Amino acid sequence: MSANLVGDVTMRYVDLRPQSPADAVPVLLLHGFGTNFGMNWEAAGWPRFLGAEGLRVIGPDLRGHGASEKPLDDASYLPEHFVSDIIALLDELGVDEVDAVGYSMGSRLAWELALTRPGRVRRLVLGGFGPADAFEGTDLSAPGQGATPFDHVFRTVAGLPGNDPAALAACARGQAARPFSPKPPVTQPTLLVTGAADEIAAGAGELAAAVGGSHVEVPRRDHVNAVSSRVFKQSVVDFLTSQG
Amino acid sequence: MAEENVTFTLPDLGEGLVEATVLEWQVSVGDVVERNAPLVEVETTKSAVVIPSPQAGRIVELHAEEDQAVPVGDPLVTFAVQGRAPQAGIVGRVPTEEARPARRVRLKPPAD
Repeated sequence: MSANLVGDVTMRYVDLRPQSPADAVPVLLLHGFGTNFGMNWEAAGWPRFLGAEGLRVIGPDLRGHGASEKPLDDASYLPEHFVSDIIALLDELGVDEVDAVGYSMGSRLAWELALTRPGRVRRLVLGGFGPADAFEGTDLSAPGQGATPFDHVFRTVAGLPGNDPAALAACARGQAARPFSPKPPVTQPTLLVTGAADEIAAGAGELAAAVGGSHVEVPRRDHVNAVSSRVFKQSVVDFLTSQG
Repeated sequence: MAEENVTFTLPDLGEGLVEATVLEWQVSVGDVVERNAPLVEVETTKSAVVIPSPQAGRIVELHAEEDQAVPVGDPLVTFAVQGRAPQAGIVGRVPTEEARPARRVRLKPPAD
């Protein structure tokens, strides 16, 4: 089902197979910048793949994205506000603990969730993510105008149906205001999965090593097309369903 | 029981896209697939998508290689589908039980 959580910012989410076995930890899927649950995860075949394992899937459209509300001020997009949205959603659903699976910006937020609310995250998967500054060299007063990798990403997503470029620009600035740091490290078991040709996720292997986690590289894939790969999905299922 | 070959073309993936590139087939010639099973992974200029099988059947031909760009509307895959003997009075193909939509248009008002 899909529903809306009404808070300071209204958030659309899906909750698939909420009746899954009580001892199974639900999977929280956090999409990347400029996409939404449907485009990042559903179209790429994730709910079906996880459903075949009987796993419950919780997938929000993050604030500023999809069918959720899109505030226009930068401060609304600080990582801690995304974390608050997610905690409010888990509380609403009565879910104590999830396995958090992110892609790109969603991984940055999954990390923030795992770091600041460690009791709510059992295992952590960071897809399409590395410790490098995603916004390096970008003039965030006018994202999409330059020639950096992020400018390119911004131009691609700004024109997608339903996206508001002004909200996305504010989101980029909010995210950039809290540069990612691998320290302090997360304490949960962590898996990183990146396309072998994903330049945006450079350094993922080092980050995995720094947190005592593992790193799977998907051959021949880049930042856009790694997300739908079977190798990625199978790695995640193996990681989430392993014992111990 | 006759088999009928049915070719599925690359559907319109929205966003005004005119083609998609095959990333990886999730089926092989000879596989028997269920409806909605993952068929092929494709990439557009904007995202990566897994296209589910539009029907149950046995795969008899894949029309594109991996890394090949396929225009929307061009053949993607051909299935051999279990056909039914023609039945008098019915024009066209009778959908299988599984493929029948959950809601159908009522052609006659209820006789109450």
